[in-house]
Amino acid sequence: MTTVSRRDVLAMMGVALLPLWVRRAAPISAPWLLLPMDDVQTEHLKAYGVTYRAIGRGVKAEWLLNYRGGSFLVPNDTATARDAALSGVTVEGLDDGAVMNIRGEIAGSNMDAVPLEKSPKMAVYAPPNAAPWDDAVTMALNYAGIPFDKIWDAEVARDGLRTYDWLHLHHEDFTGQFSKFYLNYAGSPWLADMVNRNREAATQLGFSNVPALKRASAEAISAFVERGGFLFAMCTATETLDLALASGGTDIAASYADGTPMDPAANQKLDWNRALAFQGARLEMSPTTPVFSDIDGHQVNSGDRRQPLGTFALFNFSAKVDPVPTMLVQNHRQVIPDFYGLTTSFMRRCLKPSVTVMGDEQGAPWAKYIHGERGQGTWTFYGGHDPEDPQHQIGDAPTDLSLHPHSPGYRLILNNVLFPAAKKKELKT
Amino acid sequence: MRAALFALLLAAPPLAAQTDSLARAFEMERRGNFAGAIPLFRSVLRTTPGNVNALLGLERSLMPIGRTSELVPDLRAALAASPNEPALYGVAMRTWNVLGQPDSVRKAAEKWASVQPGEETPYREWGNALLTRKDRGGARQAYLAGRQKLGKPDALAPELAELAATEGDFPASAQEWLLAMKKLPGYRASALAFLRTAPEPQRKDVLAAIAKDPSPEAHRLDAELRARWGDPLGAYERLMASLPPGKAQQVEVLRLFGESLRGQASQPARVALGRTLEAVAERTSGSQTQRLRLDAAQAYLDGGDRVAARRMLTGLADEGGTPGNLTAPATMTLVRLLVEEGKFDEAEQRLAATRGKLPADDAAELTRRVALGWARSGKLDRADRMVAGDSSVNGLALRGELKLLHGEVGEAKDLLQQAGPYAGSREDATERTMLLALLQPLEADTVAEIGAGFLALARADTTAAVAAFTALAGRVSPEKGGAEARLLAGRLEARRGHVKEAESLLRSTASTKEAAAAPAALLELGRLLARGGRSQEAVGVLEQLILDHPRSALVPQARRAIDEARGAVPPS
Repeated sequence: MTTVSRRDVLAMMGVALLPLWVRRAAPISAPWLLLPMDDVQTEHLKAYGVTYRAIGRGVKAEWLLNYRGGSFLVPNDTATARDAALSGVTVEGLDDGAVMNIRGEIAGSNMDAVPLEKSPKMAVYAPPNAAPWDDAVTMALNYAGIPFDKIWDAEVARDGLRTYDWLHLHHEDFTGQFSKFYLNYAGSPWLADMVNRNREAATQLGFSNVPALKRASAEAISAFVERGGFLFAMCTATETLDLALASGGTDIAASYADGTPMDPAANQKLDWNRALAFQGARLEMSPTTPVFSDIDGHQVNSGDRRQPLGTFALFNFSAKVDPVPTMLVQNHRQVIPDFYGLTTSFMRRCLKPSVTVMGDEQGAPWAKYIHGERGQGTWTFYGGHDPEDPQHQIGDAPTDLSLHPHSPGYRLILNNVLFPAAKKKELKT
Repeated sequence: MRAALFALLLAAPPLAAQTDSLARAFEMERRGNFAGAIPLFRSVLRTTPGNVNALLGLERSLMPIGRTSELVPDLRAALAASPNEPALYGVAMRTWNVLGQPDSVRKAAEKWASVQPGEETPYREWGNALLTRKDRGGARQAYLAGRQKLGKPDALAPELAELAATEGDFPASAQEWLLAMKKLPGYRASALAFLRTAPEPQRKDVLAAIAKDPSPEAHRLDAELRARWGDPLGAYERLMASLPPGKAQQVEVLRLFGESLRGQASQPARVALGRTLEAVAERTSGSQTQRLRLDAAQAYLDGGDRVAARRMLTGLADEGGTPGNLTAPATMTLVRLLVEEGKFDEAEQRLAATRGKLPADDAAELTRRVALGWARSGKLDRADRMVAGDSSVNGLALRGELKLLHGEVGEAKDLLQQAGPYAGSREDATERTMLLALLQPLEADTVAEIGAGFLALARADTTAAVAAFTALAGRVSPEKGGAEARLLAGRLEARRGHVKEAESLLRSTASTKEAAAAPAALLELGRLLARGGRSQEAVGVLEQLILDHPRSALVPQARRAIDEARGAVPPS
């Protein structure tokens, strides 16, 4: 028989019976709702979800670039007000006069109002067994309530990317070397699972080994961008995607991955024209060092080459001339604490001249947050694994975003999610 | 000649002037006026370049204002003047380190080592300097170089142990700590502080590393780590199996182990403490033995081992031979034991017989304990009689509780309010506040169902408690306390897994729209549904809470519960 103590049951009554406190104002009757994104906002991350869902319902929203931290303006309808109330997102009611004043301020400053028209269809490239807490983007999307499909190599191989506007890659190793953990973590169940799943996928899709499968996926992703897709990548996916693209037919994988050692002349054979962001990088030739190349400035797993974490600062762009990078750096903080990933940062000397740097560490030879175009599409690379777990060790507890509702690092991720919703106009980037 | 001597005397400032400059420099430094202190330190160094105090002062003054590089000429002059002064090499290493010159740091360390052969300090400072630059690999090499040069396998063991722990290699850290402890037993506390933080997956390896060492230090470290890692009884068994031969050494080991258990409140830890104290008592004699047996009895009682507690008290509280200073604690422990055994009559008699020998506060505390026992057994009148004259805040709180169990709500409210936040622990005070909030809407002075419900709860009879609170909810209107009573009944049902009944009671409470109880019922219902895998329904209920009661203090909890039900955040 289960018994319950009085203290238990009174503790459960808890705050319910104590005096009330006022948190929110009465329902707003104004014609417009402003979702401020400065320090007034109580739920920065969920504000993106409220805006995304409003667009999905056919509401014409606007992104007020550089206005109060990159606020959103939406017509006040019942659904949006309800959604904001449920999400705990701060909204301010505005009448037409107040909106006119804001537009006047925007016209006279380094600000702009970008219409948000169509909620993009989102895909996240991840293995079927990936936990939602293993990827900062899926965490951010889940927390903000933005729907997405999970796809992997089979969907990519079947040309499934054509049905999506936006694709996210996280810590996938496109060189097919299992993040180069194969030797150091031999015997770990999670590694065995990763290896088995990848090998099964390669066999089922008719590839001789995992590096060949991943190279094919990288090519398909590059073609997705070329056709006009929006690619957002973090952590290892940034570096290894470009290495896989640049490799062409060259063997850049260790023998445990494909049965043959890395081509000793691989560095000379890389074709950087095929890569999105990087050029002139040199591969890490040791199969036991979990590092892929010298693209990453922090080299987190390379012992004496490892660099300490600092902070990175976001660049200011001209909102009216360069709205794309302006959108991507909207934030209520300009300086953000850095965080490690298997790929943490991107050495400037390895960046193609056409790359736009949007965030970097002052005085350091690396950039953190970069953007570029390929064909009709765009890509954004953001180094590091989890903005709120700077060290991120294997086995760490998952990040709970309800404890970080104002995370400026996560805001950068969500900027990328809303950016494809912006109405296209001729942009200089 | 006289003229020349006079000139010399003029050129060299007298010693008194130097001392004065140094004193003024220290004073300026103390007041934070570093810019003012710098020229004064320099004036001393100009005449005595090897003055260690002045150079150290100059270093301390330059560093906070980011001008360490200016120390270089003074440092070089000092080293040239006093090449055998060890303290100067410490300054040199810190300076070169700040200036990012690791080769110079190494050379300074080597020079220092040649000045003081056999000393660990140069290597320690060398490694520490590298650590400030986060160069752990370099620091390790520095320490190991010291160990090799000194030819001592345990040299710099604490430094290497800390470094290994910082790098997350706790088994290696354990081996180094053992070396350090054998050299200086005082390192035991540091070793424990570092090793206890080893992550769960490494603990087995840490214990395996310690097990390789057969020394008593290793056995003790093993036991203390096991005790801290949730196995205090296993730790005790292992310690007992490896006690050193002599009785005095055994007592020492057991006492230290007992100290490590004292801060732990879990029941197994308390029982382990009881066994340890009992083991110490068996190895001592005289009044000390009785004190230890009494402490062991208390620990056993805290740990819920009443049999062992009684065994310890036999021959102690029951006999007249107990030393005077132990009478009070022995009686208190025995009365506690009797109450826990449900022997209230015996407890009351024992208390009455020894009351005169007990301090007044202790006697009052015991009286309340016995009274509470009577109350929980349903003998409210006997409980009332025992505390009728107790006007202390603790007495008022207990008398309020007793009135509550009688169902005399009006008097209970008065007494509980008089007790205020001062009686008992913070948790007791919070519970009293919650109780008052629950009783507040009830207008009648006597509500039999409240008494029956809380008495049933005190006796762990949840079924009767639910029946009583439901009956009250059916009798009084929601705004007069009916909603709170129904909510309480619903929560009790939810807690004991009666989902259908709980759901019905909570939905009924929510429908009252009563300002405090309705949102609380919705939150409880949402959580109940989520626990049962009915996430979508749960989200609907929680959304209702947020939208219908936007000013409720429970709104943030409802949002959190929605996030969890949707899988938007990791489960709590």
